[in-house]
Amino acid sequence: MPALAHIAEPRRTTRRRSLARRTADAVGHAVTEVLDNDEIASRPGLMQKLDARVKLATILLFAVAASFAHSLWVLLGFVALASGLAAASRLSVVSFSRKVWASAGFFALLLSLPAATAWITPGEVLVAFGPLSITKPGLYIAVRLVARVAAGAGIGLLVVWTTRWTDLLHALTALHVPDLVVATLAMTQKQIVTLLRTVENTHLARESRMLTAGSAAENRGWVTERMAFVARKSMKTADDVYDAMLARGYAGAMPSLVRLRTTTRDWAWLVASTLTCAALLGADKVVFSR
Amino acid sequence: MHIPDGYLGPQTYAVLDVAMIPIWAVAASRVKKTLKAKQVPLMALGAAFSFVIMMFNVPVIGGSTGHAVGATLIAIILGPWAACISVSIALVIQALLFGDGGITAIGANVFNMAFVMPFVGYYLFRLIAGDSPTTRRTIVASGIAAYVSIVAGSIFAGVEFGLQPLLAHTAAGRPLYAPYPLSVAVPTMAVEHLLFFGWVEALATVGIVSALVKQDSEMLAMRPAAKPLRWLWAAFGILVLLTPIGVLAPGTAWGEWGAAELGARLGFVPAGLGDLGSAWTAAVPGYAPAFIKSPTLGYLFAAVLGSALVIGVSWAVAKLLARGENSRPPKDARPPTSPTTPS
Repeated sequence: MPALAHIAEPRRTTRRRSLARRTADAVGHAVTEVLDNDEIASRPGLMQKLDARVKLATILLFAVAASFAHSLWVLLGFVALASGLAAASRLSVVSFSRKVWASAGFFALLLSLPAATAWITPGEVLVAFGPLSITKPGLYIAVRLVARVAAGAGIGLLVVWTTRWTDLLHALTALHVPDLVVATLAMTQKQIVTLLRTVENTHLARESRMLTAGSAAENRGWVTERMAFVARKSMKTADDVYDAMLARGYAGAMPSLVRLRTTTRDWAWLVASTLTCAALLGADKVVFSR
Repeated sequence: MHIPDGYLGPQTYAVLDVAMIPIWAVAASRVKKTLKAKQVPLMALGAAFSFVIMMFNVPVIGGSTGHAVGATLIAIILGPWAACISVSIALVIQALLFGDGGITAIGANVFNMAFVMPFVGYYLFRLIAGDSPTTRRTIVASGIAAYVSIVAGSIFAGVEFGLQPLLAHTAAGRPLYAPYPLSVAVPTMAVEHLLFFGWVEALATVGIVSALVKQDSEMLAMRPAAKPLRWLWAAFGILVLLTPIGVLAPGTAWGEWGAAELGARLGFVPAGLGDLGSAWTAAVPGYAPAFIKSPTLGYLFAAVLGSALVIGVSWAVAKLLARGENSRPPKDARPPTSPTTPS
């Protein structure tokens, strides 16, 4: 139907997106991310095949070990390790690196730049801009912070992208996290998606009805009213969910039918991870004490 | 305010991770007692709401927008302990599902946003709103509580950042984690929240509470019945008695130098500062009344006088608000709106 073809065409305009459109896009992106993460975590790869408890424990070990490292090179080693594990887990290394460097690393760079100046860190001047001159020790501090944040972000991303939410919950149960917490986490994730969809639809409905952007006060009034609507919907849904739980025989406990089992591969992974962390921290001690 | 991995050293994040364990245990026990079997869906929906509220862009001024944390609002609706669990769960999901906020820094993020914020906000709300609040007083109290609570949370985050150069540094004194000292980190975090994010939090909370008061006021009465705040007054009295500890700290706070001290530091006194610095003479300069010789007693007197003035002015404002509310004619009853029909 050529007459309607323009409807399917994405609108190309240089006009600034409205508040409703920006929020709807951000919320839609968050929903897609939740669904995509589960799909990515289901791919066959090195880390996806591991027992969730072992994986959670070793990733925590990597995160703690990286926080103890002080040498820039060893911190970069942790980033490389996370990227290598991402590749071995069939994750897109480009997406992984973009998330680690362009997102976490870039913000860390912005935050740490003032620390590179003589105003915060006096020392040998590399580039002179008066009191804002970049000093050698200041630059090293800034770069090290960026590497540290990138290492942490990379390791954290491995949990997000290689563990299905349900597996994570089973691992938490097996690690003796109280039932109340695990049940609440499980229900929260589902409700987040439901509420995000509501928020996205409400904003899209607003966008479709608006001829002008509206004043800040009008938009604020509308946004806070929608927030109140979400609050009321949340509490009402809690009642409905509770009734549904009672109808299904809920009596305070939430038993799981899934039994996690460790294999030789998991134990080998645990030993390899521990040795890698020990080697990197050993190297850190040698490099940093020089 | 979400702290990623890498900004806090093990000495800080480990302490905060461990500190949250007993807080969560007490919160779980309190919630179990007050919300009974309904706790799981209510907590889950509270956590989902806490997560979703952070996705709304609230317009502030000049085309800028920001997002609220909503911790005070949830504490007003569900009570502080339930809010502690709900916001904690939202933060854990943000870290584990979206990679927003660090894994090692979960304890720090939860401490600032799920413990400090709901408790400061809730008790301030109750202090201002009183036991039988009017509509206007409830709305004003929620706004002030939300504003102060997020500033308090940001100050805690600033202290955590600012402690890093003191706790972990090289032999040459170079910081290994967050690089800014307390004198930079705390004012930076506090000022950005005082000037911007505090207003976003207050505007969002006031807007939501106003809408709930009109549409579903029962929701604001959902939280468990609270005990009188006598203990808060006792704690306040102890803090007043402890104020002379401030006498032990030498020097002037960073950035609060007088003309003479600034002149000694810079070698000159800016002309404007010299002119305006002497334009006003305080009644009790330097917290040291002229008629009391002992600095300790002088500090104590200043604390009692200052506290009495703040409480007196707050009480007078609250009375005025209550009078204005009582003298207004009642509005026509509005038809109830269904929460299932988004407009």
